Amino acid sequence: MSQSNSSNPTAANRRVWLRALLYAVLLVFVVYYLLPLYVMLVNSFKPLEEIRGGNMLALPHIWTFEPWKAAWSSAQIGVQPTGLKPYFINSIMMVVPAVTLSTLLGAVNGYVLTKWQFPGHGLVFAMILLACFIPFQIVLIPMARVLGILGLAGSTPGLVLVHLVYGLGFTTLFFRNYYAAFPTELVRAAQMDGANFFQVFWRILLPSSGPIIVVTVIWQFTNIWNDFLFGASFADFDSIPMTVALNNLVNSSTGVKEYNVHFAGAVLAALPTLIVYVVSGRYFVRGLMAGAVKG
Amino acid sequence: MASLKLQNIRKQYNKLEVLKGIDIEIEDGGFLVLVGPSGCGKSTLLNCIAGLEDISSGDIMIGEKSVVDLHPSQRDIAMVFQSYALYPNMNVEQNIAFGMEMRGIAKPEREAAIARVAETLQITELLKRKPSQLSGGQRQRVAMGRALVRDPQVFLFDEPLSNLDAKLRVDMRTEIKKLHQTMGTTIVYVTHDQIEALTLATKIAVLKFGELQQFGTPKQIYDQPNNLFVAEFMGSPSMNLMRARIIEAEGTLTAHVATGQGATLVLPLHGFEALNAHKGTEVILGLRPEAITDEASASGQDQSKVLLQSCQINVVEPAGSDTFVTTSLGGKEVIARLGADAVVSAGESMPLAFNMAKAVFFDPSSEQRIA
Amino acid sequence: MKSHLQAWLPRIVLAPSFLLILLFVYGFIAYTGYLSFSDSRMLPSYGLVGFANYERLFGLRHWKTALNNLWVFGLLYIGVCTVLGLFLAILLDQKIRGEGFIRPIYLYPMALSFIVTGTAWKWFLDPGIGLESIMHNWGWTSFDFDWIKNRNYAIYTVVIAAVWQSSGFVMAMFLAGLRGVDSEIIKAAQIDGAQSWRIYWRVIIPMMRPVFLSSFVVLAHLAIKAYDLVIALTGGGPGRATELPSTFMYSYTFTRNQMGVGASAAIIMLIMIFSIIVPYIYSELRSEKRS
Ligand SMILES: Nc1ncnc2c1ncn2[C@@H]1O[C@H](COP(=O)(O)OP(=O)(O)O)[C@@H](O)[C@H]1O
Ligand SMILES: [Mg+2]
Repeated sequence: MSQSNSSNPTAANRRVWLRALLYAVLLVFVVYYLLPLYVMLVNSFKPLEEIRGGNMLALPHIWTFEPWKAAWSSAQIGVQPTGLKPYFINSIMMVVPAVTLSTLLGAVNGYVLTKWQFPGHGLVFAMILLACFIPFQIVLIPMARVLGILGLAGSTPGLVLVHLVYGLGFTTLFFRNYYAAFPTELVRAAQMDGANFFQVFWRILLPSSGPIIVVTVIWQFTNIWNDFLFGASFADFDSIPMTVALNNLVNSSTGVKEYNVHFAGAVLAALPTLIVYVVSGRYFVRGLMAGAVKG
Repeated sequence: MASLKLQNIRKQYNKLEVLKGIDIEIEDGGFLVLVGPSGCGKSTLLNCIAGLEDISSGDIMIGEKSVVDLHPSQRDIAMVFQSYALYPNMNVEQNIAFGMEMRGIAKPEREAAIARVAETLQITELLKRKPSQLSGGQRQRVAMGRALVRDPQVFLFDEPLSNLDAKLRVDMRTEIKKLHQTMGTTIVYVTHDQIEALTLATKIAVLKFGELQQFGTPKQIYDQPNNLFVAEFMGSPSMNLMRARIIEAEGTLTAHVATGQGATLVLPLHGFEALNAHKGTEVILGLRPEAITDEASASGQDQSKVLLQSCQINVVEPAGSDTFVTTSLGGKEVIARLGADAVVSAGESMPLAFNMAKAVFFDPSSEQRIA
Repeated sequence: MKSHLQAWLPRIVLAPSFLLILLFVYGFIAYTGYLSFSDSRMLPSYGLVGFANYERLFGLRHWKTALNNLWVFGLLYIGVCTVLGLFLAILLDQKIRGEGFIRPIYLYPMALSFIVTGTAWKWFLDPGIGLESIMHNWGWTSFDFDWIKNRNYAIYTVVIAAVWQSSGFVMAMFLAGLRGVDSEIIKAAQIDGAQSWRIYWRVIIPMMRPVFLSSFVVLAHLAIKAYDLVIALTGGGPGRATELPSTFMYSYTFTRNQMGVGASAAIIMLIMIFSIIVPYIYSELRSEKRS
């Protein structure tokens, strides 16, 4: 909104004050949003006594990396003193194939649903779309049984399957909306030139899908990395993901509460998605919006 | 109703100077058109007049009063936008009423004013509709209604017709002209369409890169463009510009123009005393297409200034009421405008009548008009 | 033959995904639906018992707490996120210097797992070491903030953490909406003489209707699904004071061996979400078809 150019001194004065107030309010909220991250970070570098006896907001008197080392490789999680490291690896082993597969299938589905529409394509899309929003509690019981039947119970491939299935809705939605805006004339022209179904996809659509691939990968990566419910329901030691391990670490009832280790662990669990966010925040936002507002 | 005076208006965005000292004055009841290519600063200037943008320096007077310190709503202006800018959540009636409501005008008065304006613009049956339920032309009318209802000192229009299809654009152009004639309010109208400018304006200001190129009546702008830019920008097809050499032969000045066949076209110049200073040099000769015609069409022109010359025709384009042909002159394709039933085909030669009464000359380096 | 294959190829390519969704989403919904009418306890069992599970469910005090909490949590979460998101978006829309610095800070919590958010807030709100202790440290010894340990107030700490996590996202949605408003409309309102705040109130905010709607849908669906945050922040406690339908379903199914009741809780959750989502998707797809 442009400011009216009044030369009236009181009005000008008022505007300066309003502006200052505006920045002050914005700053207060900067503090509000940063505070928990700040608390996690500074306290992860303090010895435990300093947290118990001191001020959570103060910087460490004695800086120590011990909590980080403990969280990574020696903290007691469940019954084993392994630290978060093995679970970090579990998460990676789960996330990479799940993201890759669901993105790939989503791309193909979006392609078919926009450029090769068949009778009933609207209903198929609506059903896929609706699948994005189901409360996952409703699939927990049958999923556990099916994973058992498939021999995938408690394994990383089992979790990959789960995330693949329940990620398909969003990846299909993203690609469908993106390809809906892609000129169909180009597809027709390529067909005239003799390109078949896969060639059109591979040579015409995919090369210009960069932005939506990035959005989808970020979305899927964030969601799957951050998932807790499926991990808690279907994983064994060999497949427990980071979030579940962190929760076990923090809520284990035995022994003293090692807050500094908990905070270091929380930051470790947050790090991959935070890095993705910092590196590609623009795409991250677009992903969120695409999930919320269609098209 | 009031006159409008712009004095040395400058506008900067950070380092970028968008308006570089504009001086324009339009009398009470005048119709000023700001015209120029996209990005030259027309909208910026209009927004400055409206008070939607602050000016960096200069003064704006509406009537005899400086308005630079006033809020847009206090300048007694109304504006019609290119996108119409109708409030999508309000119906037509509420859209028109909104400004009056903001100024605290009582409801009965508002309703009377709306009824009057709706009558004028024939939108009475649309009053209860939302903007999304209107066609482009209807939205345009509502946008004008919102401006009309204010009964302002000055109307501002920012490319109001550019979102309409060709037919509707011509109709609305006529309607705006009629409206201006009946109400007599001062209007400032922005367009990049030179035909709109020539048909509507009482005064035209041609802008380029934030600089005023020429300010004058449509006739002045059309017949005596200040420089090559104005000459090329105004008129369609645009003015023919060809290289010519000024040579004095047997006591008369002539312009020598090379034809496509290696010959030289010699055009005698009467009444171009200013060109005496350019003897022996190369200049740019400007002739509008209608100043190069066939013999029959030239019969109405001042015969003492008309020269008949045979030229080879390269392309023939019949355009209904006229036939346009091209020939090579001064190293360029030159367009001539013949009568509708001129009989000629490409590759043939035919005599063309050059009406030197309409000729203008420019300095090739400064690009300014010299005669 | 070849052209036949070509014609079917798109459908063949789509089929695996569609079948997966058909089975794993709609098949499972049907299965859970069936279980909710069965006598399943620790393991699925197929003897039908009619609406007995639902009757039991709605007789349970914990379920009433869970519904009540969902109502309080959902209302506050959606309300505060929307108001705060819109407020911050409007502030950020005032040609703020440093917007590129502020915006990502408001939004980054969305990138975190609810488990991380829960852990951070759990200790920050803990009276022993967190906010209360900080205030005592600073000399405000009468400062009292033990909501997270208080049965009556613990649910509000869930709201605090959840709002912290999601409000930046709502802000981003509104900001995009505000940026999408035709600048000429704002100019027109200025010429009409409206004050800045009236322009927002009368012209711009009403134009944000679609953003209100989609942020409501997203937040409502997140609220009903909310599970991880409660687990990490309060574990459903103190006692069962912060129980939500999602945590209720989990504990009844997997730790209390009342699968039939758990299944009926899941079905109720599904009905709640679908009653919001289905009309939304329906109208979105319809308006898409029209344009
Ligand atoms: N808010 C702004 N900030 C910086 N530059 C601007 C702004 N508004 C317009 N400009 C620049 O000023 C010039 C003139 O713009 P405008 O007045 O809109 O041109 P037009 O003649 O097409 O209406 C353009 O080069 C444009 O890029
Ligand atoms: Mg413009």
